[in-house]
Amino acid sequence: MDFLAEGLRRAWTLLLAGDSEVYGIALLTLKVAVVATAISCTAGLPLGYFLATRVFWGRRAALTVVNTALAFPTVVVGLLLYGLLSRRGPLGGLGWLYTWQAIVIGDVLLALPIAAALSAAAVQGVDPRIRRTAETLGAGPWRAAWTVAREARFALAAVITAAFGQVVAEIGAAMIVGGNIRGQTRTLTTAVALYTAQGDFGLALALGLVLVLLALVVNIALQVLQGRGNA
Amino acid sequence: MLELRAVRHRYAGRVVLDLEQFTLPRTGSVAVVGHNGAGKSTLLRLLALLEAPTEGRISFDGTAVPRRAPASLRRRVTLVEQRPILFRGTVRENLEYGLRLRDVGRAAVNGIIGDLVDRLGLAPLLDRRRHELSDGEVQRVAVARALALRTDVLLLDEPASSADRAAAGALYRALALERAARPLAVCIASHQLEDAYRWADDIRSLAEGRLSPVTPENLFRVDLPPGDGVKHVPVGSIAIVVMTDRSGPAVLAVPPTDIFVSRERVPSSARNVLTGRVTGLAIEHRGAGVHVRADMGGVELIAAVTADAARDLALTPGASVVFSFKASAVQVF
Repeated sequence: MDFLAEGLRRAWTLLLAGDSEVYGIALLTLKVAVVATAISCTAGLPLGYFLATRVFWGRRAALTVVNTALAFPTVVVGLLLYGLLSRRGPLGGLGWLYTWQAIVIGDVLLALPIAAALSAAAVQGVDPRIRRTAETLGAGPWRAAWTVAREARFALAAVITAAFGQVVAEIGAAMIVGGNIRGQTRTLTTAVALYTAQGDFGLALALGLVLVLLALVVNIALQVLQGRGNA
Repeated sequence: MLELRAVRHRYAGRVVLDLEQFTLPRTGSVAVVGHNGAGKSTLLRLLALLEAPTEGRISFDGTAVPRRAPASLRRRVTLVEQRPILFRGTVRENLEYGLRLRDVGRAAVNGIIGDLVDRLGLAPLLDRRRHELSDGEVQRVAVARALALRTDVLLLDEPASSADRAAAGALYRALALERAARPLAVCIASHQLEDAYRWADDIRSLAEGRLSPVTPENLFRVDLPPGDGVKHVPVGSIAIVVMTDRSGPAVLAVPPTDIFVSRERVPSSARNVLTGRVTGLAIEHRGAGVHVRADMGGVELIAAVTADAARDLALTPGASVVFSFKASAVQVF
């Protein structure tokens, strides 16, 4: 019990003192998470809409692939990406292994199926008459899609939250392709794992608290946005 | 204005529409009547240029419409679906939707909406949202949303199905005003024959995806027993005597002009003699004819008589009446 209380005390001290290491790691995590969420949602939401609204050959197979990808182990994604980005791999020339960009790619690969599968489900939940009606009033495909998205805004906001949640809490791929390099690719999750292993429980706990706070702040921000859009 | 030629349309391999020709004149008002599933809604979707027919072609002002109709053409037509839906937002925002797509300026939008609100009595609804409206109100707003676009063609799928009689009357009056004010082609799919007769210039009947050659009343979907010659075909609680060699699913049509109307049974060659009560009378809008609607024990039949005959027979709602027609008068298709 003392050990836990001591850890918490140290965590608060570090947070209140504005420890540069803690905040540096938090900022990098936020940057990686925001970029990865933005990319995966920019691609995943339209993909989900397409899967939900278009009838084409192989649609069912595509949905199965996306749904299966939801459960893809993060370390396996990290491993495959490592193979691609390592010096002998086909993308080795980019020199991205052990950079924050590599972590972003890994996170995008993991969050994209979430964004696509959940947004497909969200769009399928919208009354199909909405899209038809938009078309009868003269909307082209993009405008009709926007009208449907407006109807599904709560569900789509939840999709973005889920994608962000996946990205910010991800550790397997970040560890393998990021390398957990101090000041460069050390994210909150990889740092927590490292400092726990090193026995610095207070620092690990402080970082864990930041992680929880980050998730909380982003969720609250999205809820506030939803509330505004509730008119 | 809009024309379908040699159109065959399939859903999942099944032919749902098979029309040699269907024309909607520039200022025409056409009613398409028929059973549920007769192909009315599909026809309207094709006319709205939302779908391309599996076979055949659609032309607009004499020019063939490409399979993917350009927005410039699609925006000259609009369709109000049978169970319309409103977008989220207020009624006003719904009315503005299509106008914004067409980049209509703010002042013009306000003018158009103000005009419509007056005509359709929508003022109390303007700031309401869809969950605050009744089905009839949603339908009225949906029609207004379509009228706001001032398209050349207006297609309405059962526009009065959720409205009460007074609201339906208001709707048809608004349409008549619109047609008086500018050239507008209207096509309405309806199962309410009275409305169709009162309102449309031209009534076409659809059955099983095809234009039916007979007037659209007294259509019954039946299952014909096997065998040749005279058959007693159950229709609801009555049986209709038919002469046909066909068997299996079919549509029976009893032309209203082939029904002989009397107050009592009279000896005749008619194999179908049905007794019932008059439920309504409608003046046929083009002439001195009267449509006599009668309930024949749960099945409604309509007979056409002259206004003089209706008066001589003292046909009033509630009066007992006998409808007679020959087995050979019943058409099967």
